[in-house]
Amino acid sequence: MSGVEVGIGLFILMLSLIALRVPVGLGMLIAGMIGYATLNGWYPLINYLKTAPYYRFSTYELSVIPLFLLMGQFATKAGLSRALFETANHFLGHMRGGVAMAAVGGCAAFGAICGSSLATAATMGQVALPEMRRYHYSGALATGSLAAGGTLGILIPPSVVLVIYAILTEQSIGTMFVAAVVPGVLAALGYMLAIAIYVRRHPEAGPAAPRQNLSTASLLNALAVGAIFVLVIGGIYTGRFTPTEGAAVGAFLTAVMAFTAGRMRAKGLVECLLGAAQQSAMIFLILFGAEVFNAALALSRMPQEAAAAVAASGWSPLMVLAVMLLLYLVFGCVMDSLSMILLTIPIFFPVISTLDFGMGPEETAIWFGVLALIVVEVGLITPPVGLNVFIINGLAPDIPITETYRGVLPFLASDIVRVVLLVAFPAITLTLPKLL
Amino acid sequence: MFGHALTQACRGLALAGGAVLLAIVGLTMVSIALRELTGQPVPGDYELVEIGCAVAVFAFLPYCQLIGGNVFVEFAMAWAPLWLRLWLDALAQMAYASIAALLAWRLTLGGLDLHGYGETTMVLGMPVWPVFLPIVPSLVLLSIVCLYTTAMSLWKARA
Repeated sequence: MSGVEVGIGLFILMLSLIALRVPVGLGMLIAGMIGYATLNGWYPLINYLKTAPYYRFSTYELSVIPLFLLMGQFATKAGLSRALFETANHFLGHMRGGVAMAAVGGCAAFGAICGSSLATAATMGQVALPEMRRYHYSGALATGSLAAGGTLGILIPPSVVLVIYAILTEQSIGTMFVAAVVPGVLAALGYMLAIAIYVRRHPEAGPAAPRQNLSTASLLNALAVGAIFVLVIGGIYTGRFTPTEGAAVGAFLTAVMAFTAGRMRAKGLVECLLGAAQQSAMIFLILFGAEVFNAALALSRMPQEAAAAVAASGWSPLMVLAVMLLLYLVFGCVMDSLSMILLTIPIFFPVISTLDFGMGPEETAIWFGVLALIVVEVGLITPPVGLNVFIINGLAPDIPITETYRGVLPFLASDIVRVVLLVAFPAITLTLPKLL
Repeated sequence: MFGHALTQACRGLALAGGAVLLAIVGLTMVSIALRELTGQPVPGDYELVEIGCAVAVFAFLPYCQLIGGNVFVEFAMAWAPLWLRLWLDALAQMAYASIAALLAWRLTLGGLDLHGYGETTMVLGMPVWPVFLPIVPSLVLLSIVCLYTTAMSLWKARA
C-alpha cells in the first residue's frame, strides 16, 4: 500500500468512528493508534504512549488555552454582555433593525474578550432576545442575527482556533491575532449591512425602537472591555507578554470585574472553574487525538505525497485555495472547527506553502489562516449541525429552527462576499500586522 | 450511591485542577510584576506553568466525561432508534475506558522511567516524575467514569 492509501484509509476509519457517535477526539485517537501500530509496530506505539500524553498536555504554548477559556467564563459571569449590548443599543437601537445590529455589535465586543462562539451566542442571546421581542422583531431576524453574531466570538481574537493554527504552522500567535482584527471588524460591519438591507426589504421584521438611555455603569464596563482587549492583544503582539501571560492578565482582570460586580462569590467561582474544566478537557482530548492521528499520518507520508501531487497537477493556486475553502464549508456543516483545523492543516499547509500567491511565505500563512478560520466558522450557522443555531433555539424554543436557518441566510451571503473580498485583496488582512 | 460518590470525586478533582489554573494566573501575575519592577521574573515560571497546565487538564478529563462534555457528531446517526444510539455510545465509552486504563498503565511506567533517569526540569532542576503522581490517578478515575457511563448507557438501552 502506498502512503497515500494508508492515509486515506486512516481518514475513512476516523470519519466512520466519528459518524458512529464516538467523540471526535477519541475517534482521532483510536484511528491514530491503529495507524501508528500498523505503520510502525505495536511496541513503538505503547512506548510512545509512556510520555507522549504528558508532554502533549505540558507545553507552554498550549497553556494559553485553559487560561483564555477561564477568561471567557469570568467575562460571562461578570455580566459584561449586558453592558456591551446596552452601549451598542444606545447608538444603534433607534434605527430600523437597530436592535439586531446592536446584538451583532455586542457579540463583536464580547468576542474581543472571549474566544468561544458558543459562549458568545449564548450570553448575548440571553440579553438581546428579550429586547428584540419587546420591539416585535421577527423571529427569523432576531435568532438569525444572534446565531451569526456568535461566530464573531471566535473570528475576533482571542480565538482558540487561531492559537492552534499558529502553533501548527509555527506563526506568531500575536501576529495572527492582529491579522484577524480587521477581517473581524469587517465581519461585524458586514452583518450590520446585511441587517440594513434585510429590513429595507422587510420593514416589519425589525421596526425602529425609541432611543435607549445608556447608564454610566454600562458605558464604563464597555470601556473596560475595550481596555482589556487592547492590553491583552496589544501586550501579546508587541511581545511585552507571552500569549499565556496575556491570557493570565485577561483572566485576572475579568475575574476582578466579575467579583466587583458582586456576581462572583464562592458559588460563582465554582461554576466558572467547572465551566473552564469541561471546555479545556474537551479541547485537550481533541488535541491529543489529533496529535496521535497526525503522527500516524506523518508516518504514512501522505501529507508530502499530497503536496507533491497538487504541485504536479498544474492547478492554479487560486483553484487549489478555492477547493480547500469549499471542503471546509462542506465538512463544517457536520464537524467542529477545531478538529477540522487540526486534521487538515498538516495536509493543506504544506500544499499552500508550495504555491505562489504573489506574497512571502509568512504572509501567505497568515492570510490563509484567517481565511480558513472564517470558513470553518460558517459551519456553526449552516444546517444540519449549526451549533450556534441550536444554542439560540434553546433560548427561544417558540421560534421554529427552520425560521432561524432562514434568518441566517443574509448573514451567510455576507460571509461569502467577505471571503471573496479577503481572497481578492490580501492587503485587508495583512496591512494591520505590517503597520503596527 | 456509587454514582453520587463518583460525581463528587470528579467535581472535586476538576475543582482541584481549577485551583491549579488559578495558581497559574496568580504566579504569572506575580512574575510579570517582578519582571516589570526588578527585571527578574519568578525563576522557572514557564516550566511551573507547563507542569500546572498538564496536571490541571488531566484532572479535568473525568469530570468532562461524566457530564457528557465531549464533542461528538449526532447528525450521522440521528435516524437510528434510541436503543441503537445508546449501544453505540456504550461501545465508545468502553473504548475510552480501555484507552484511559492503557494510558494510566503506560504513564506509570513512563513516570518510573523518568524517576530512573533522574530527569529534572530545565531551570529549577526539580525531578519530573512526581508530576505523574496526580496524573495517573486522574486517568484511573477517568477509566472508572467511562465504565460507569457505559453501564448507564446500557441501563437506559434496556429500559
